[in-house]
Amino acid sequence: MKKIGVFLCNCFGEIGRTVDLESIRKRLASDPSVGFVALRESLCMPGDAAEVRATLRERGVGRVLLGACSPYGRMETVRLGLAKEGVDMRKVRGADLREGCAWIHGKNPAGATRKAANQLDMELARLQNGQDSMDIDIRVRSEALVIGAGPAGLAAACGLAGMGIPVHLVDRGSAPGGLLNVVTKVYPTEVSGPAKIKSLVEMTGSSPLIRFYGKTKVASVKGYAGDFKVALAGPEGNTSLRAGAVVLATGARLLFPRGLYGYGKMKNVITQMEMERQFAAGNVACGNAVFIQCVGARCAERPYCSTICCPLSLKNAMRILDEAPGSTVTILHRDIMTPGSTLEAYYRKALHRGVRFVRFDAQRPPEIRGNGLVSGVEVFDVLSGVTRSIEADLLVLSTPLVADPESAALARMLEIPVDRHGFIAEVYPVHPVETRNDGVFICGTARWPASSDQAIAQGEAAAVKAASFLGKETVPALTMSRVPGTKLGHAEANAEACTGCGNCVAVCPYRACKLQRVGQRSVSRVIKVRCKACGSCMSVCPNGAMQIPEQNYRVTGAMIRRAFREVR
Amino acid sequence: MSPVADTNILVFACRWCGLIGADGAGRRRTELPASFRVIPVECAGYVEPDAVIRAFASGAAGVAVLGCHVGGCRFNDANHPALKRLELLRTLLDTTGIGGDRLLLGFGTAHEHHQWADTIRDFHRHVEGLPSMESWMTSVAGDR
Ligand SMILES: Cc1cc2nc3c(=O)[nH]c(=O)nc-3n(C[C@H](O)[C@H](O)[C@H](O)COP(=O)(O)OP(=O)(O)OC[C@H]3O[C@@H](n4cnc5c(N)ncnc54)[C@H](O)[C@@H]3O)c2cc1C
Ligand code: SF4
Ligand code: SF4
Repeated sequence: MKKIGVFLCNCFGEIGRTVDLESIRKRLASDPSVGFVALRESLCMPGDAAEVRATLRERGVGRVLLGACSPYGRMETVRLGLAKEGVDMRKVRGADLREGCAWIHGKNPAGATRKAANQLDMELARLQNGQDSMDIDIRVRSEALVIGAGPAGLAAACGLAGMGIPVHLVDRGSAPGGLLNVVTKVYPTEVSGPAKIKSLVEMTGSSPLIRFYGKTKVASVKGYAGDFKVALAGPEGNTSLRAGAVVLATGARLLFPRGLYGYGKMKNVITQMEMERQFAAGNVACGNAVFIQCVGARCAERPYCSTICCPLSLKNAMRILDEAPGSTVTILHRDIMTPGSTLEAYYRKALHRGVRFVRFDAQRPPEIRGNGLVSGVEVFDVLSGVTRSIEADLLVLSTPLVADPESAALARMLEIPVDRHGFIAEVYPVHPVETRNDGVFICGTARWPASSDQAIAQGEAAAVKAASFLGKETVPALTMSRVPGTKLGHAEANAEACTGCGNCVAVCPYRACKLQRVGQRSVSRVIKVRCKACGSCMSVCPNGAMQIPEQNYRVTGAMIRRAFREVR
Repeated sequence: MSPVADTNILVFACRWCGLIGADGAGRRRTELPASFRVIPVECAGYVEPDAVIRAFASGAAGVAVLGCHVGGCRFNDANHPALKRLELLRTLLDTTGIGGDRLLLGFGTAHEHHQWADTIRDFHRHVEGLPSMESWMTSVAGDR
């Protein structure tokens, strides 16, 4: 095996002032695996990489150990510079002698030198014992499956088709549009729901790249990013197709307020959905209308804010005043949530328009009066400290968006988690439309309550994220990293050593380990596309059968043994 | 066999929080005891209980595993089961005589370099105050 070349960086004295680099040089040079040790003033200045490259050629070394700064200092720059010069980055490792040593042990040069020697020794162990994960190329099928044709799914489908990617758009309803189909005026612009998504629906009908499957559900999804095998159940029986990526956009539904504020018993107590239907049918109630906000929301069971209900009530309140002159509207609320300049202006408009607002306390909710029909509401106004009695001919309950149980079933099929309210969980807040399962994206109210504008923006974001993957013919599995940069490697199961205990399957946060039957035995196999090299499976395997070659047990063992080795 | 220094501390620092905290402390040139060595890992999930035991057998007087806050893990909460595994190990350390308080589990975010420095200083002081590992090493050697 080719020897290791070591470069020790003085960093213009920043390191050498504290760490005795010369004694370290001598020590390392005596290691049989080391070909040479060079002291350098710098490693990251223009021309340094080319010089290092020349030395490596001349000396014929294959692996490089750098003693320099921290990986968050200039170390990555140095490694990338070497990669540009044609050096295999996987064969270049660094020990942090500056931030992690010279700069924090400035008052203890002897201790700093000992530590530097140990840390270099430890990184040497990585070069001596580490191996490279075998990279595999994922063949990407440039087609997408979009589940749900509401505003979010439509935006995703049209976005993908706009980038030249064929889309299978599936909806359990007969026509695209989702919840917006029932909304005759969409806040804040007050165009109608169908008008708002007209261009998207038209494109869905006319684009040769989008195929719409109405009254269809997804029966099963198998496979991984790049090639999912999908079975659809539609009116014409089952269809099977393959897609490189899946976008989940199945939306949410409004909570049904059964038993709350007389709902179901008193005919003039309705939900926001029924209010929309009344507007659509053209029969706007005249008289005194009262809205109650946060019904079944921001409570112990559902602590979240549903985002849409406040602007929704503002919209419908103003509409009643406009379309049924002589009416009064009162909104009973706990807080009015109208984030952003547009919605805040919308709130002010409602105030000027004469909508009355009464703030109540969650501990003292409003009480309804009446028999058979609601005739009024008693509410303790927390701002003025008095109990108000309000006449009511119509009571509208603002209930939150809640997760659709069918979406949770889809999530299980796609091996992605849901949060404790049943909404689909994003993988990490900085990856808002991506999920634990690579190649599966989420958008719209399936992931969290959102307005239609937000749902559309998320749909577009999901399209771009999916396209950046679907646009390539093949993708190296090693670049399928959730965190910036490429991943360290991927876990590999040793079929000989594995006893099929399933520990790794239980612990893997990405569902990358699967037990497979091989003859009489069960053995674990790692799906390289999914593995993110977190190391968990290695830690729990009782047989040492799981290893990430780059940091296998030999590497860790040698690093531990060398950590406190005596330095002469 | 490595020499047993009373304050040898082995730190497993995850690359997304612990190691960045260390880097931050370095940039601010926070003077720290030179008793600790760092093994960078992708995630606290890497740290097998076995590795902690091996560290004690290789001359460590304390082992620290520094990862991200629970809930802030870059690997889909892989640090949470890791924390549970290592807490379980702590009991084992007590029964073997090493002492569970020689294992430190620290969770912070990348920005918390002050916390990082304090953690190292406090742990150094704590380990310094414990009886030497020498006696445990000889007792183990004697058992063989
Ligand atoms: C009464 C009411 C009024 C509203 N008014 C406004 C407003 O004025 N302004 C505004 O911005 N927002 C408003 N909203 C919110 C808006 O409707 C949503 O933000 C938006 O519809 C979310 O889009 P989506 O595509 O995520 O979900 P949805 O619109 O819910 O679409 C989901 C689609 O997926 C399909 N689907 C669901 N499950 C499956 C499955 N298992 N298989 C196949 N297909 C499935 C459904 O049939 C549906 O077509 C209102 C909501 C309600 C309830
Ligand atoms: S390293 Fe982590 S992500 Fe990869 S297979 Fe093991 S547990 Fe799963
Ligand atoms: S933990 Fe180890 S032995 Fe158990 S199934 Fe996984 S690889 Fe096999």
